Amino acid sequence: MAHDPLLTYRTLVTHFTDFLTVAIHTILHERNIYPRTSFLSARKYNYAVRQSRHPKVCEWINDAIAAVETELLKSAVDRVAVVIYTKDLKPTERYMFDVSRFPAVDPTDLDTRLERRGENGDPVPIVPLADMDEQFRATMGKLTGCRGVLKPLPEGCTFTVAIELKSEGQPPVGHPQPWMPVQPELSETSGEKHTRNTVHPVRAVAAGELVFESWIEQAVDAT
Amino acid sequence: MGSRLEEKSKLVRKRIEGHTFEHEGGEEYDGSKFGGFTDYFRRKKIKLQNLDAQLRAQSEDKAKIFKGVVCHVNGYTQPSLNDLHTMVVQYGGGFIQYLDGKTMVTHIIASNLTPKKKEEFKRYRIVKPAWIVDSVNAGKLLPWDAYRVVDEGVGQKVLGFENGNVVTQANRKTQGYKEQTDTSWYTSQLKAKELQRSESSSRKQPSFTQTITPQEEIEDEEWPLPEITSSIERALEEADDFEDDELPESVERSEDALDTTTKLETPPPTSPPPAPADHSVTGRPIPEPEPRKSPANQTTPLRPRQGSQEPDYSMAIVRDSAALRSLSPTRLATMTAEEHNALLLSDPRIRKSTVVHPDFLEQYYRESRLHHLSTWKADLKAQLQALAAEKSASQKREQQQLKMKKLPGQRRYIMHVDFDSFFAAVSLKKYPQYIDKPAVVAHGNGSGSEIASCNYPAREFGVKNGMWMRRAQELCPEVKVLPYDFPGYEEASRKFYDAVLATGGVVQSVSIDEALVDISMICFAQSGTDGVKRNEGGVFREQAKADDIAQKMRDEVLEKTGCAVSVGIGGNVLLAKVALRKAKPAGQYQLRPEEVLDFIGHLEVQNLPGVAWSIGGKLEDIGAKLVKDLRELTKEKLINTLGPKTGEKLYEYARGIDRAEVGDQVVRKSVSAEVNWGVRFENQEQVDEFMHGLCGELQKRLWKEQVKGRQLTMKVMRRAGDAPRDPPKHLGHGRCETVSRSVLLGVATSEQGVLVREAIAMMKSFNISPGELRGIGVQMQKLEGVKVGVGVEGDRELGSQRRLPFKTGQSSKMPVVAKEVVEGSEGEKAAEDPILDDVKTPVKAQRFVDASNLPGVPVRPANPSTPSKRLLNTLGTQFVLPTQVDPSVLAELPEDIRSKLAKLVRPSAPPPPPAKAEAGPAARPLSRAQSPTTIVALPNQSQLDPSILDALPEDVRAEILGFYNNNKSPGNRKRGEQALLPQSPRKVRSVPITKQPLKRKRGAAAQAEGTVDPEFLAALPEDVRREVLAQQRNARLQRAGGIDLSLHQRSKAQRHNRKKKTGDEEAALLERVLVLPPRPAKPTFTSRKLTELPNLREAVRAWFLEFANEGPYEEDVVALGRYLGDVVVEERDVGKAGAVVRWLGWLVGEVGGGEGGGEEYAREEWARGLERIREGVQRAAGERGLGRLELG
Repeated sequence: MAHDPLLTYRTLVTHFTDFLTVAIHTILHERNIYPRTSFLSARKYNYAVRQSRHPKVCEWINDAIAAVETELLKSAVDRVAVVIYTKDLKPTERYMFDVSRFPAVDPTDLDTRLERRGENGDPVPIVPLADMDEQFRATMGKLTGCRGVLKPLPEGCTFTVAIELKSEGQPPVGHPQPWMPVQPELSETSGEKHTRNTVHPVRAVAAGELVFESWIEQAVDAT
Repeated sequence: MGSRLEEKSKLVRKRIEGHTFEHEGGEEYDGSKFGGFTDYFRRKKIKLQNLDAQLRAQSEDKAKIFKGVVCHVNGYTQPSLNDLHTMVVQYGGGFIQYLDGKTMVTHIIASNLTPKKKEEFKRYRIVKPAWIVDSVNAGKLLPWDAYRVVDEGVGQKVLGFENGNVVTQANRKTQGYKEQTDTSWYTSQLKAKELQRSESSSRKQPSFTQTITPQEEIEDEEWPLPEITSSIERALEEADDFEDDELPESVERSEDALDTTTKLETPPPTSPPPAPADHSVTGRPIPEPEPRKSPANQTTPLRPRQGSQEPDYSMAIVRDSAALRSLSPTRLATMTAEEHNALLLSDPRIRKSTVVHPDFLEQYYRESRLHHLSTWKADLKAQLQALAAEKSASQKREQQQLKMKKLPGQRRYIMHVDFDSFFAAVSLKKYPQYIDKPAVVAHGNGSGSEIASCNYPAREFGVKNGMWMRRAQELCPEVKVLPYDFPGYEEASRKFYDAVLATGGVVQSVSIDEALVDISMICFAQSGTDGVKRNEGGVFREQAKADDIAQKMRDEVLEKTGCAVSVGIGGNVLLAKVALRKAKPAGQYQLRPEEVLDFIGHLEVQNLPGVAWSIGGKLEDIGAKLVKDLRELTKEKLINTLGPKTGEKLYEYARGIDRAEVGDQVVRKSVSAEVNWGVRFENQEQVDEFMHGLCGELQKRLWKEQVKGRQLTMKVMRRAGDAPRDPPKHLGHGRCETVSRSVLLGVATSEQGVLVREAIAMMKSFNISPGELRGIGVQMQKLEGVKVGVGVEGDRELGSQRRLPFKTGQSSKMPVVAKEVVEGSEGEKAAEDPILDDVKTPVKAQRFVDASNLPGVPVRPANPSTPSKRLLNTLGTQFVLPTQVDPSVLAELPEDIRSKLAKLVRPSAPPPPPAKAEAGPAARPLSRAQSPTTIVALPNQSQLDPSILDALPEDVRAEILGFYNNNKSPGNRKRGEQALLPQSPRKVRSVPITKQPLKRKRGAAAQAEGTVDPEFLAALPEDVRREVLAQQRNARLQRAGGIDLSLHQRSKAQRHNRKKKTGDEEAALLERVLVLPPRPAKPTFTSRKLTELPNLREAVRAWFLEFANEGPYEEDVVALGRYLGDVVVEERDVGKAGAVVRWLGWLVGEVGGGEGGGEEYAREEWARGLERIREGVQRAAGERGLGRLELG
């Protein structure tokens, strides 16, 4: 299998955001955020996935992913969360993607080829594409099966995408402002409250340099 | 087809050949793990090779023709992938299903490629499937070249060898789907069946439209598949019918001269020529038909002239060569080119006629017929030209006196006079009995001889000049072969020119048998017109006069020489030439102005002078076959198709316009010496030696022409990759690739030393193994005339620039003191550098080398009065340290000496560039240390001893300094910068590098650089450092026999630098590699360092089962808890931790509970342990800010 000869941080991030897009679509489908009929069957990572065919939804997701990608490229992101709110805007579920272990790359080196030396000094492949696809497939499988472990959501839920920055990260404020800054203590799901959450691990992906963990947090008191 | 391809595919081949398969118990038959795609794929490939190995083992009876071939099939093919695969493997080849890289295989089989792939695969061996099929059918590996899928590019001309001449041919190839079906395996099988049905025994191989060599060439080929075996067979056969074939031939020949019809029962392979009637004509080596001796008697040294042209004859030599005969063909095939040559040369007779023989060149040029013909012709031409020029000049003067100046719009009358089949006609004078029979002139009746000229009866059979004898005999079996008659030609030519000059016109000689004459003035004088006014009667009179002149001249020539000439008359050179075509044979024709357009219009374009089939082909492509079609085309179109010069010329030609003037002299543009016969080398020394000889020859010729040149071009013919080692023609060059390179010399020269140096350097840069060389030529261009009489000696008269007597490099002796500045002779030194041989006493040897290497180094114990005898010893050693350090020698040296050398190599600050050479003695060692950077023939300017300089006479000093200034000229500078050497990064240099150093030298310099210490490196500016390192890496690669990427990398580096300068950050970044920091090790469990979930489960299970009845130990629980906590916090795999906990929970709940035998206490202990572990994991999750884990 040929490896991408020019694996850069940018391609790494692109792989991840692609996955994230697919994951969001899947979540929206599995959690019945939108009517099931509005989803198309598609194939990604050699796995049957669902894709919303509503142009606005797609647009929103793409915009959100683009914003996430921008932040990822700054190496400032700790976690990416897909949060599902109830009708009265109480977060009830969070799909977390912990990307803190992506390599920290200086913005000037975005297009520099990444290389990791094995123990014997030989370069080892950064992202074995075949492995990555398998890992993503497994993760998608887990996500698709999340309905089995999660309680059904109430009617009229909505969702959003959030990122948690690394402590040293500069918040992306300024114009245009795609993100709403929130202080950690004000965040509904952090601090004291997290003990009330149940965590369902999804999967830790480790395909070469593409290392991230995903889990689902469910608010216990959500009704 | 670089070595890269070879290297990688060789590895693959070895691996495949070494692949064995015993049973299905191997590792590759294990299951694959999750995420182990690479493993899975690796195994798959092994298994595929297992199948192949088995297949190969089953087909032991098949010939291993594809041994050493590794194939991959791309795309749809006929026969199918499966069939091809089976064929390749059965016949000993390797097959790769999955191509990891293009270099993995030796051949990629494809019928057709997409344009993108065509581009990508351009440099690889892409062959048609027919190659496999045909090779299997033929029972041997056919050259893949004829089955190319991807050519060198559509527009690219392909060099071919036709009848021994190098020809370029447009690479026009039909490609399409038809081709595949027509040549496909299935079709051919079908055809074969049909053929069988029709009981036609002649089996014809499918013809391949993709062959790059035209069909006729193959037909003309002597032995299309020259093999030693065939020659042995031939030898055996001929030994059998020795009586019939060998001895009687001479008898037969003489008989034949008398009676040509009686010999029909045993037709000789070629029709023998008539015995010469007159043996007295010699003087020049005339190739008389010699009675052929039997091979057994053939011990006289081979005359290359004969061997060169008569494969028949020479095959006997090769076949008699015991050395070659004793070897099996397979052995021959495995030898390297050098070994092969050595074997070939081991036969003294062969050796004698190759370049290795010291007298080869002399002999070659003395006896080579081609050379003889061409030089003789040129000489004669020059002579006659001089004569004509002299005469016409005086005529012109007279005419000018008569005020008969050329007026604008004047009518012209140009005659083109040409002998009818000159050689044949003159030769036929001796054999008048053949005058109306087809006859040709050639050097022999061997089928490999080339026809120099043929008479008109022969032409009726389709025989043409330049045709091979064999072809001619096919066309006309009773053709007579006449020998050359050089004195006769010369005489005839002289008489011819006498007659031509007698006409009184302005004469321009075209060749020995051809001349252009401008007779306008005579015509005008006769008719009393001025040539401008339209006066019907006058024009008519002029034309009549022209015809009259022509007729008279023809009569005169016929009378004097007995040969017919034809004359074409027209208004300009073009029209005269065109008219001549109509006049032939033995006639004359005047093309009158009113019929010009009509006449030309009906000619084919190829009949125009200067238009042969290459231009003709292009014109046909744009729809012009006749000249009148050409007129339809716009000038722009022609210029676009043919280029500005030819296009415009043709545009005018089509309208009968030709601006060439009779009497225009063509100035000689180049002088060359080339040898492409008998070139067989065993080693590099022989090559170098030969270059000396060849350059000597070139020098001789330059002197003869009284010119010197500024550009030296070297052409090298190298055996084509798939060409046999022994070409059809004995010691000929066979099929070759031709490469050439030019170097611009700073000063025009004709000196052998300079030529040799440059030539050897270029030869090295080609990097061709000596055994593969088949032809070498050197050519001098950008000629400048030499002012005769500047000096008296041969050396001096050649230069407007006088040279100082330079010392020649004497590496084995202490240098002789030279009064003036001395110069080492680079060329010889390169070959004789004793360092290479004398490793054990390097320092001493180096001292000598140093002395001879370094001009002006004051190691002169013999002459203590020289002011510069004292060496400033700053280095603490009495040895003069060499400046050009051979790294291998350096490596052998003790540490302390090495460090000294290294110090020396590191350049110190250069002396300020002196306006005059004023470097003080103290600065000298330093500048000397610098001298490896400027590996030039000249000593560094700073090295000039000022005292010596002062002692010189004024003019000599001025000249020395002038020489330096001259070298600073911008033209040279460019070269110097190009070869930017790493050792002296500073911009200010007292002397720029002027001459391109030998490539090897540069390599050596880079090697010496290999010892550059990091301090120095660190002190360099960033870009220079990168370059230094790149160069070092290159040198290493080259030494390691790696790929020569130097050019590539240099250009890349340059590009890189340029880009950087323009601020293109991104491109620069792409070149860099960001090496990621090593990832922190995963936390591991127990001393077995378990990390994977299945292993962990297994361990936990074992642990539980072991202690199911007594409960877990405290520390084990803590350890597992801590580990899982680490998994959550450090490895960040909550899922894994959760899975382990759940697993333990299941064990405790189900397995423990299920057994029932477990003690209550133990069960409680386990439950408590489980709880603690759970808590630990939860705590860890809390640390990460996670909620409560669902731990089942």
